[in-house]
Amino acid sequence: MTTTAEPQETKYTGKSQQRIEDPRLLTGHGTYIDDITVPRMIEGAVLRSPVAHARITRIDVSKAAELPGVFAVITGNDLVEFAGEQPVIWSVIPEQRIARAHALATDTVRWVGQGVAAVAAVDRYVAEDALELIEVDYEPLPVVADLEQALAPDAPKLYEDWPDNISGSMTFPAGDADAAFAEADVVVGASFRHHAGYGCSIETRGCIANWDVFAGKLDMWLGTQAPNLARDLLAQVLSLPVDKIRVRTPDLGGGFGLKFDFYPDEIIAAILSRRTKRPVKLLEDRQESFVSSSRARDMRHDFEMALRSDGTIIGLRGTAYAVLGGALGTVGSGPPWASVLACMGPYKIPNQELTLKAVMTNRSPYGSYRGWGMPKANIVHERLIEFAARKLGMSRIDLRRMNFPTPEEFPYFSGAAFTYDSGRYADCLDLATSAVNERGWNVRQREGREAGRSIGIGYGFHTEVGAFGPSRVLNMVGLDHSGFDEVRIRMDSTGKVTVLSGQSAMGQGTHTTYAQLAADGLGVPIEDVTIVTGDTESCPYTGYGTGGSRAATLGGAAIVNASGRLKSKILRIGAELLEANPDDLEISDGRVSVRGAADASVSTADIGYSAYRMLNGRLPESETPTLEEIDVFDPANMTTSYGCTALLVEVDRQTGAVTLLDCLQAHDAGVIINPLLADGQLAGGLAQAFGGGLFEEFVYDEDGQINTASFMDYLLPSATDIPPFHFYHQETPAPHIPGGMKGLGEAGTIAGVSVVASAIDDALSDLGVAVTEFPMTPPRLLELIRAAQSAGVTA
Amino acid sequence: MSDKHTVTVTVTVNGQVYTGDCEPRMTLADFLRHECGLTGTHLGCEHGVCGACTVLLDDVAARSCLTFAVQADGARITTVEGLAEGEQLNTLQKSFQEHHGLQCGFCTSGMLMCATELLRENPNPTETEVREGISGVLCRCTGYDSIVKSVMAAAGDQRDAVSEAGSAR
Amino acid sequence: MKPPPFEYRSAHDSTETVELLTEYGDDAKILAGGQSLVPLMNFRMARPSVLIDINQTQDMTGIREDDGHLVIGAMARQRVLERDPTAGVAVPLLPAALAHTGHTTNRNRGTFGGSLAHADPAAELPALLVAMGGELTVKGPSGTRIVPAEDFFLAPLTTTLAYNEILVSARLPRLPSGTGTAVEELARRHGDFAIVSVMAAVHLDSNGRADLVRLAAGGVDSTPIRLHEAESVLSGGTLDETSIDAAATAAADASHPVDDVHGTASYRRDMVRVLVARAIRSAIANR
Repeated sequence: MTTTAEPQETKYTGKSQQRIEDPRLLTGHGTYIDDITVPRMIEGAVLRSPVAHARITRIDVSKAAELPGVFAVITGNDLVEFAGEQPVIWSVIPEQRIARAHALATDTVRWVGQGVAAVAAVDRYVAEDALELIEVDYEPLPVVADLEQALAPDAPKLYEDWPDNISGSMTFPAGDADAAFAEADVVVGASFRHHAGYGCSIETRGCIANWDVFAGKLDMWLGTQAPNLARDLLAQVLSLPVDKIRVRTPDLGGGFGLKFDFYPDEIIAAILSRRTKRPVKLLEDRQESFVSSSRARDMRHDFEMALRSDGTIIGLRGTAYAVLGGALGTVGSGPPWASVLACMGPYKIPNQELTLKAVMTNRSPYGSYRGWGMPKANIVHERLIEFAARKLGMSRIDLRRMNFPTPEEFPYFSGAAFTYDSGRYADCLDLATSAVNERGWNVRQREGREAGRSIGIGYGFHTEVGAFGPSRVLNMVGLDHSGFDEVRIRMDSTGKVTVLSGQSAMGQGTHTTYAQLAADGLGVPIEDVTIVTGDTESCPYTGYGTGGSRAATLGGAAIVNASGRLKSKILRIGAELLEANPDDLEISDGRVSVRGAADASVSTADIGYSAYRMLNGRLPESETPTLEEIDVFDPANMTTSYGCTALLVEVDRQTGAVTLLDCLQAHDAGVIINPLLADGQLAGGLAQAFGGGLFEEFVYDEDGQINTASFMDYLLPSATDIPPFHFYHQETPAPHIPGGMKGLGEAGTIAGVSVVASAIDDALSDLGVAVTEFPMTPPRLLELIRAAQSAGVTA
Repeated sequence: MSDKHTVTVTVTVNGQVYTGDCEPRMTLADFLRHECGLTGTHLGCEHGVCGACTVLLDDVAARSCLTFAVQADGARITTVEGLAEGEQLNTLQKSFQEHHGLQCGFCTSGMLMCATELLRENPNPTETEVREGISGVLCRCTGYDSIVKSVMAAAGDQRDAVSEAGSAR
Repeated sequence: MKPPPFEYRSAHDSTETVELLTEYGDDAKILAGGQSLVPLMNFRMARPSVLIDINQTQDMTGIREDDGHLVIGAMARQRVLERDPTAGVAVPLLPAALAHTGHTTNRNRGTFGGSLAHADPAAELPALLVAMGGELTVKGPSGTRIVPAEDFFLAPLTTTLAYNEILVSARLPRLPSGTGTAVEELARRHGDFAIVSVMAAVHLDSNGRADLVRLAAGGVDSTPIRLHEAESVLSGGTLDETSIDAAATAAADASHPVDDVHGTASYRRDMVRVLVARAIRSAIANR
């Protein structure tokens, strides 16, 4: 719990700096993937399986190929000529059966939406016309539509050579869970179900592939959060050397983890391009997105918690079922695995037995979505601790507080995998409860109840593991990629600064926060800083990508380190020009001066001139020309930020409808670079979680068909569904991150689901309703209310 | 495709006249984006729910994914590219920057066009009116609160500007 | 999600529209506001080979009062209708119902007649027409005919309109002064199609007995339904909790909803009971 951040001048860091991205985006001058047109470009479209499980017995593309305007039609058999199977980079379960698939199915389809054929045509209109002319015969196979069917003893199998539908299973033990449950005074347990949803960026995915065999290059524009990873994976699947591949990312219309994953579309576009000798744009449309972008959240957690009568938690055990799809996606069973590793949350639980079972179904591949398993971990510990408080007759606030590690106990090993770096959890809890009081929620609740309204206050405490993570640790637990970040920072011949980063900007304001850090690190005006991201040919390498709350923490730390070294060089050159000792110099607002004698100064333009153009007599003999530093930062540990969220709701007992009235969050993500943007991250994440908590669901029928493949049926919350937000920060620096930042991009999504349940339960506390299923739709809640009412009557 | 029936469409977008040939099925959104090169109008769903493609069609907010270009022949259209005043952001745009009313910027065009109409029809909206007014545009980044603040603040700034102009007269 | 190809024709008036419909037959569809048809085309779930655009017509607009009725042209934009002072006074249910019809941007383009002719059983305007006992004026090759609202809607997305007929206007009786009205709608989000919507109008005589009761529900059958049984329970009596509950139960019994992803049939039926009771109470309070 020591601060590593040097006390430094922070003209920008910590301030609510307006975003440098905004003028462009506010005037329609952003450039998203569909805004890019490259010369000779044509457009593709993918024919997707209409059935969940079938053998393909015939494909006839001849009519489609004859349609005027069509350049090429390919099937799985055409694709395998050039492409291997889709990659799976996370293999977290030892001896797991990894079901891989090609980008287009070759003989069997295993989910609705699996690619079967693809077209390249003069435009998207014609490409879609052509899809309608492709004839495919499917021989139906028995469908495994959901988890329960998949686990049934006589279940049809997705893979004939497997003994069952289980891809893999593993258990994390800590202490002696059986003994703890045997000696517990109170045990609470439940089966928690979070149904499927997805990241649902408003911009769908897309790419433009230009695979020019004569130039010997694959040039790809790709809406991705992980351009370096994508380049490595393109190389892997297409058997190309990495240096022959360039991946550029345009502006991203949101990412949310969904655009971290590597999709079949990238490979399909590349093959279509090679086949047509033209650049091919392939965009996913909204309807496709429900079956072609990573499905997420879909899990069941059967967990129980053991406590002593004084409220001390002594044990946690259970099994988490991951509802995987017909093949593994890029991240395998990574998010479900994280949901298990994090399910003890902020509480000290000495005895644990946590099991993960990864189960295949005829659904689309499971993948990344902001929060990456941790929202469901949060449901487990936050729901169970509230059930325990009820059973013990204790305050849910006090029960949480008494089970936190104290600030002195950090670094704290949570039991399964993570070591939490630093924290003042009880302070954060108190910050939230006092804010609830200040905002008068308790009064609103009391008065509302007196007027016959069902008002509830929900609480949730979350931990967020960010700064993912030491490369060697990630490798050890099954990641076939790394976790470091590289930054290059350069001052040019006019004294202006360019920062090049491998991170992706997807709306979180990375360019602004990086400019703030670089401007402070170098002592230059923020207007003098340009950030460049999104090109594997000019930008540095980052392990993994922009996910796992890595951008501010790892990229930020690298900027702090690199700008510190660059500043030293600037000062050494300044010392030569000013005939002073470097130790006596400071740099502020772009001028190097002798400390306490501002009249003796040179500008960064003078320094740049000396380092690039007029070296003679100006650049010290001992210095190399140019002003550039590279930093590669691989953290010693992940960061753990945390927060306490409170939510005010009203429940309509006659309809089951829930209205969100107000929301606040007390939060600690270490040093905050930009409070305005930090609050934006927290609010946006919470809104997504409220979507998952109340609205968003992939609904499947018994044939594995998805019944919610439009925005009329997959319900993103709108402005009238989301409450106002109020944020309160405390800052406990990350001890091992230069700059002290912790991740916060996923906080809202982690915290926001369980708190909905907590608030609903509180609104209905007289009935004893216990919400365990998400989204908690009006019909579902009405059923719970009626069950509780009739139980109350019979009791 | 020579055998395809095409129509000639002329529209005035942000004061500039554009003429192009297209199939009748081309949506106004695609015409603006591909024929006029105005890619600030975005497509998020192409079925009239997300609102990202909202433009002002003869001064009335419309979803350009639900309007065919041929229907707009002769119309006056304002897109997000037409909002700035010279090289300066307008009041609403400035307010979005100040209050962090955007993150990825993808829904922002639709939000701005929708809010432009809202403030024109109702210069003094309540928070509830703003939330209802923008509820037809889906944002996945912000959680809406900052957008509501941006629109409310822009309304206030516009009022200030009007009263200043009035007192100067 | 690009629509399939079609031939585009723009009609100058309702007469030409009928001629074009007659010429092209079942392959043609009328394009009014496009807020329902175009999404279906973008999904390629609707693929008319000819679209007859009636946005340039001038003879189906207008909102006026006529002999105790409000007459609304089919091409009246929903947003214009919502803000029309005459309409709001004559039929207060109109602005209240339209506030639930999509979002302002949809209503800017969406037309009054388009919503009726589209005949989504969960849409507000069809339920309102049924509640008010409205009459629809339909034009065909041999002239116009008048269709009572309850006879107009046949099934989801199906009306009595023949292939070569167009809805040109509808008449709604002006409600007596002192009539209380209410729209109660349960939707998953603001602007969504209703899970259940209920329209109510109630007028009490000088003795406090109901001498006018109009109730209809949307989203609970293959068409919007007039709740005659519930009206009978209330008509001529004083409206107390007992009679309101009885009416709500009668309404629920009269509805025949189906399951969909937003709610089961039994949930919908339950919601009819809840919303009818609420609508009656609100209507009484709104007098």
